[in-house]
Amino acid sequence: MPEPGATPIPFTVIGGFLGAGKTTLLNRLLVAPHGRRFAVLVNDFGSVDIDGRLIVAHGGDTIALANGCLCCSIGDSLATTLLDLLERPDRFDHVVVEASGVADPGRIADIGGIEPRLSRDGVIVVVDAADVRARAADRYVGDTVLRQIAAADLLVLNKRDLVEDAEATTLKTWLEGIAGAVAVVEARHADVPLAALFGLPPGADLHPAAPACEPAFRTWTFATPHPLSREGLVAVLDALPSPVLRAKGFVRFADSPGRRALLQRVGRRSRLDDEGAWGLGRLVSEIVVIGTPDMPSDADLAARFETAARPVVDAAVLSATLDRTR
Amino acid sequence: MSRTVIYRARRIVTMNPGNPFATHVAVREGRILGAGSLEQLAGWGAHDLDERFADKVLLPGFVEGHSHAFEGGVWQFPYLGYFDRAGPDGTISRGLRNIEEVVARLREVEKAMPRDGSTLLAWGFDPIYFGGRRMDLSDLDKVSTDRPVVVIHSNFHVLNANTPVFRKAGIDRSTNVHGVVKDATGEPTGELQEMTAKFMAYKAAGVQLASLLSDNEAVWRFARVAQLAGVTTATDLHNELPQSTVDGYLEASAREDFPIRLLPAFAAGLVPLAEVPDRLAGLVKRNNEKLRFGLVKIVTDGSIQGLSARMRWPGYYDGTPNGVWNVGPDEIDRTLLAYHRAGFQVHVHTNGDEASEVALNAIEKALAAAPRWDHRHTLQHCQMADASQFRRMKALGACVNLFANHLYYWGDVHYEKTLGPERAERMDACATALATGVPFAIHCDAPVTPIGPLFTAWCAVNRLTASGRTLGEAEKIGVADALRAITLGAAWTLKLDDEIGSIETGKRADFAVLDDDPLTVDPTRLKDVGVWGTVLGGRVFEAPRRA
Repeated sequence: MPEPGATPIPFTVIGGFLGAGKTTLLNRLLVAPHGRRFAVLVNDFGSVDIDGRLIVAHGGDTIALANGCLCCSIGDSLATTLLDLLERPDRFDHVVVEASGVADPGRIADIGGIEPRLSRDGVIVVVDAADVRARAADRYVGDTVLRQIAAADLLVLNKRDLVEDAEATTLKTWLEGIAGAVAVVEARHADVPLAALFGLPPGADLHPAAPACEPAFRTWTFATPHPLSREGLVAVLDALPSPVLRAKGFVRFADSPGRRALLQRVGRRSRLDDEGAWGLGRLVSEIVVIGTPDMPSDADLAARFETAARPVVDAAVLSATLDRTR
Repeated sequence: MSRTVIYRARRIVTMNPGNPFATHVAVREGRILGAGSLEQLAGWGAHDLDERFADKVLLPGFVEGHSHAFEGGVWQFPYLGYFDRAGPDGTISRGLRNIEEVVARLREVEKAMPRDGSTLLAWGFDPIYFGGRRMDLSDLDKVSTDRPVVVIHSNFHVLNANTPVFRKAGIDRSTNVHGVVKDATGEPTGELQEMTAKFMAYKAAGVQLASLLSDNEAVWRFARVAQLAGVTTATDLHNELPQSTVDGYLEASAREDFPIRLLPAFAAGLVPLAEVPDRLAGLVKRNNEKLRFGLVKIVTDGSIQGLSARMRWPGYYDGTPNGVWNVGPDEIDRTLLAYHRAGFQVHVHTNGDEASEVALNAIEKALAAAPRWDHRHTLQHCQMADASQFRRMKALGACVNLFANHLYYWGDVHYEKTLGPERAERMDACATALATGVPFAIHCDAPVTPIGPLFTAWCAVNRLTASGRTLGEAEKIGVADALRAITLGAAWTLKLDDEIGSIETGKRADFAVLDDDPLTVDPTRLKDVGVWGTVLGGRVFEAPRRA
């Protein structure tokens, strides 16, 4: 168990109907050379297909990998499996749960809201480009599929190679009609930009294989020494278009210039958490934005974010700054 | 040769239509030589005449076709329900009629606990009878402001906790999560629902809860609660059967004084399909007289009162969106077919009528792929089925086990909120099952409702709700039919009708010993007929006298 006050572990739920490609995506995540320790909870161990050479230990309900990742079988209770995981002495960088093919992943993500050792990172829903419309019209499971799509912070349009471009465009419009202005990542064989989905450090070599459909993603960084206006930043974030997949960074707000806020955005959902005093760190707000190639240009993004960072000089900011330099 | 004992009774109701009533029953080697008069039975040779049941009425031991050994687990925690309920030692936990009584009961329990900050966990709470008043943080803070207190509702899908639990979890007004109930001002009320409730319950009492099912004592407590109600055979109708549980059940059932025959149903879907039929076949080889592996359970949907049942059009009466699949239709088809092919009998949990339809589709497809006689796949609960679905059951050779206790405990909610009048009045349609010729049983689903077949039969006969409303005059059945449903009917749905379920030559000497004759008491008093105890395989189990 981590010591009290330890940073919560990002918690991601992968949803999607049976056969959409969740397991393929998770198999990729487990073995990609991302240098981070993922704990992945899956429904069916049998479908996890990991090269035996990468496995260092195979317990009854867990598979430990050489890269530090761990795969756990959910068994009859997600709650107990997750709690057992959090009690393990090893510390993970990210916890990912595979929702069952008929589950509402949004409900599972709720756990991230009541467990202090976890922080809800996002709900990623994988859909089968060739099949999702038929599933959504199915008499018995249609509403289940639509509920899953509506719960997504970020959608993976998988098996993109099975449909024509025009159809993909129609599909995306249809998906946005259900999920709102949600980010949609196209993929083939669930080959997705992992950094965009799971917020890995940009620059890591995450995509050794040839890109599936198009270049994986772009990143852009915003840094400013000026305290930001809280309302201004929230407005900028709310207005970001769906090709922006993630944003993460530390923010210094003008209304609390001595404190550090953590910004995390997955798909269209942003959250800001107070992280306490800046301590001895540099007093610089820094936000990394990750998106598809369709996201606004660097110049456009810079213009947007700078509106939130108009220099503010007031007594509170000044004294907080001076306090630290004294 | 073992001793022959002839029991004399005031009356014996045999459930054997060729010999419906008797005064004596002869028992040898744990089995029935015959029922009849003393003269008729004396022909079996030397015997001891046992008169202890001379003023009692014997029925075949009751068969509970849908219960869970979890009932034995929950009794290690205090019970907070609205209705009186008998525990494993026969003492009655009095029903608590308002939140103040619940709090007072919890304070008593809290005082007796060690001062070590351990969690106080209680179960069975049901606020639907409290006129709209819900429990909140301040109620449970009166129990303790430092010890975590967690109260699990009777549906096992909702819980209440006190401030220490919420503080430790960091849940406050800024927590924006679906399952955290908030009041009009945006403050959490102390109630958690569904996934968040489940998670918090395990978190608060994980070790204790996890041990409930593998705890050897739990299966004994379950067996005793069942025995007190006249039950001689009970199912544990959803168990993933880890080795520890298998060992515990084998050990318990080998004991002479274990008071029931236990039928665990393997929880399909938790283990990859390819491995299971073999594993289950291996378990079947270890069966003994009091323990029978071999049943399989598939859970398709949620519950009606939990608003998670899968319903056909037009769905919930109050407009709530359709419920959730536990496993999807494709997986139901695949799982059922795999066990069907391997020769097992599958029990399918279906609360809503769409779930029943999907289960019937799966049975139909399995039969087309692999024709099989007398499979007796059984729809469990099947609360919303209409006449056409019963006709399909009949055509497909399926059985049904109807959740008659629901009529009483949730009938009012179904009438007013979930189903509306017309569907509420036809729910748990015993008369339709009878008219259609679908073999049927009725059940309690303990610990969801208390185990008590005479109460369950009373529900099917009177169809009264907790508020006193008659729910569906047309679906009432007679006392004799209801008694058959809790004996031979249930035995049929478990493929044990050759062994138990009636008092006739060759069957096991399993009896319910009653203080009164359920066929002559006023049908509205059926639930009040006293249970003296049971006889299981010729061994007498007297229930402890109740307080």
